[in-house]
Amino acid sequence: MRLLGRLFQLLFTWWNGATIGTLWTISRTGQLVGEDEQGNRYYQQRGGSRRWVVYNGYADASRVPPEWHPWLHHTLKEPPTLAPPKVKPWEKEHVPNMTGTPFAYRPPGSLAGTGARARGTGDYEAWKP
Amino acid sequence: MTKIIIDGKEYDLDPNLTLLQACEAAGKEIPRFCFHERLSIAGNCRMCLVEVRMGGRPGPKPVASCAQQLRDLPPVKEGQPLHEIVTGSPTVKKAREGVMEFLLINHPLDCPICDQGGECDLQDQAMAYGHDKLERFKENKRAVTEKNMGPLVKTIMTRCIHCTRCVRFAAEVAGVDEIGAIGRGEDMEITTYLEKAVTSELSGNIIDLCPVGALTSKPYAFNARPWELKKIESIDVMDALGANIRIDARGREVMRILPRNNDDVNEEWISDKTRFVWDGLKRQRLDRPYVRKDGKLTEADWPEAFAAIAARFATTKPERMAAIVGDLADAESIKALKDLMTALGVVNLDCRQDGAKIGLAPDGTRGPRAGYLFNSGIASVEAADALLLIGTNPRMEAPVLNARIRKAWLRGNLNIARLGPPADLNYPVCELGNNPADLIAIADGRHAAFETLKSAKHPMLIIGMGALARPDGAAVLAACAKIASATGMIGPEGEAGWNGFNLLHTAAARVAALDLGFLPGQGGRDTAGIVAGAGKGEIDTLFLLGADEIDTRALGKAFVIYLGSHGDKGAHRADIILPGAAYTEKPGTYVNIEGRVQRANRASFPPGEAKEDWTILRALSEVLGRKLPYDSLAQLREAMASDAPHVAQLDKAPGFPPADPAIWRAIGTAGPIDNAHPFVYPISDFYLTNPIARASATLAECSRSSAGRPLASAAE
Repeated sequence: MRLLGRLFQLLFTWWNGATIGTLWTISRTGQLVGEDEQGNRYYQQRGGSRRWVVYNGYADASRVPPEWHPWLHHTLKEPPTLAPPKVKPWEKEHVPNMTGTPFAYRPPGSLAGTGARARGTGDYEAWKP
Repeated sequence: MTKIIIDGKEYDLDPNLTLLQACEAAGKEIPRFCFHERLSIAGNCRMCLVEVRMGGRPGPKPVASCAQQLRDLPPVKEGQPLHEIVTGSPTVKKAREGVMEFLLINHPLDCPICDQGGECDLQDQAMAYGHDKLERFKENKRAVTEKNMGPLVKTIMTRCIHCTRCVRFAAEVAGVDEIGAIGRGEDMEITTYLEKAVTSELSGNIIDLCPVGALTSKPYAFNARPWELKKIESIDVMDALGANIRIDARGREVMRILPRNNDDVNEEWISDKTRFVWDGLKRQRLDRPYVRKDGKLTEADWPEAFAAIAARFATTKPERMAAIVGDLADAESIKALKDLMTALGVVNLDCRQDGAKIGLAPDGTRGPRAGYLFNSGIASVEAADALLLIGTNPRMEAPVLNARIRKAWLRGNLNIARLGPPADLNYPVCELGNNPADLIAIADGRHAAFETLKSAKHPMLIIGMGALARPDGAAVLAACAKIASATGMIGPEGEAGWNGFNLLHTAAARVAALDLGFLPGQGGRDTAGIVAGAGKGEIDTLFLLGADEIDTRALGKAFVIYLGSHGDKGAHRADIILPGAAYTEKPGTYVNIEGRVQRANRASFPPGEAKEDWTILRALSEVLGRKLPYDSLAQLREAMASDAPHVAQLDKAPGFPPADPAIWRAIGTAGPIDNAHPFVYPISDFYLTNPIARASATLAECSRSSAGRPLASAAE
């Protein structure tokens, strides 16, 4: 049953992993370059310049971590597997865009967040005895 | 009159008009940057170019219309057609476009972040008179370093187009040669030379004069855009002049205050205190009633506060009650308080917080109105040819009036003398010393000043509160009245239609309160008597209507009710605080020094639970069982008009009172003048004279910098 579901996804959805056409092209001409922490796999065209990512699950561009992003966009020649970028101690873990999920950022006064808003101070300063 | 053709139509105009004014009289709009009607003519922006056709031939070159008068044109030859001014020919259009292009070469393109945006002459005129192909200059624009002009005026000198309006204003109107231009051509810069604030109480006006965003208001910087502001025409209460102002508010916040044109009062200038007081309207506000319980002021609601007052009033005899009106009160609340106190039988009423001996005749009845007005009218200062200042420093007490005196002096026919301590007024003054008893010598004709005043055609006295707010003030006033009648300032000997007997008040509420008779009744105490009585336990209950300038520490055990807008000395001492509205928050009537009745309008609503003052008094009267007979502002104003008919005549100075010698004997009380105590000016710090000004951070900064202490460098 799970296999059937996966097949259905592969045939009819474009937002899970890659489409069937892309997978076909990659299998013909692509060469695996590496895989990131989330399990996204990165391919490069043999003898060509095209680069692909096949998402592990939901296809969301913000899931590409910063070390793979420049290679994928042809900013860097070498993939992080060959030239790993220096990681500064203050760097935070990469988090994909959480908009639309329960983990989305809510400002302190947002009704969707805590709902508790700081009381307005008014546009004047009251005299206190 | 000169006949001239303007754009094909013939007009008959005053030859003293400039070509620009002639075109305006004909309804033609002439763009300009440097020309300003109240300043001298510079003719350096060249934006007002027009073509003058003489004898039917095109003129040799365009003419700067602001710098040429109609009478400067050569006479029309026999048989020749009249001269014609053309304001819309292709030559003129091309000339204007060329001037605009030159101005814009070095003007930065920062309109989106410029505070002048939306009310900028250069923006408007570039739209109307510029052309749209300004792409031939690839060179860098010039940049000019910012100048420090103190806590009020922000400078972005790269935007300056060198119209020199600010330079001319400082030199001519303000009387301080502290702004000038250095360098030539592209290197010209407007500067204060020494990187310091302009030492003028009128310096804020250069912000209005600046046609571009080079000089803008520092406290208002980046706060609002002109199109999002609600503009309310109102009246200023910072001094007794009653300057006409426009209050710009956004929501319930006052964002800025600008002058309004009124040739009879303030022309188009206002003092810095008037202009920059608005941040005081947001601080130290009384926004809820307070009642003192066990020695501590605690928050209360209106019924609780009223009940406490009623309980107190029920047990106090009227002769042990008193009321004092402060300096910023409007006529409506003064009237309501007077009616309430009269209904309660209270006679200890006074509006003269400073103790000035005015408004009362020698027998204790109300004196004539001419005895406390600026009788000549403010505009007539320009007609005076001899002026004696008595115990007054108009530069501090009414800076705009001082500019008017300076204007008269600049015209060259005004002799000014002073009896009082020396102080810089921005025009030369003949010092007569500071011996108050000299007034009697002048009145008797034993002093040189008598002859000067007597021989002058339009002599004038200006008597300040510094001369009247002293124990022998009534004698000083009587001596001044005697000088006035003896030197022919008024009366049968003087010229008809002239009255040079002028009092200069320091409080905006004073004349209205005197008009409405807020004065001690028969056997009543005046301010000094009330304060002393409270200290001695003879006055039990004291009602202060915004009165903060009395010695609140000397009030002893008296029960003090304070009705006002700001927490100042009065509120600190009070046992019950009733939160009222500031002058921008209520429609009110104010009477200025010359007796002109003016209406202020509401720009925003009072904060929190505060209410308009007269409505508080009306509600209180019902709790006290002495219901006041008016339910609306209109009814209150009707009652006021039946009490004092002239208070219903809006925006009209009373004119010269009848030349009846009896009036002049009823002013003041003749008596000895104490020569041991010289006159002292009533205002020691111009910027901090009332509760609103004392709440303003901007004015506190001005006060600090004017006192010679170093400026806080955080501003820029």
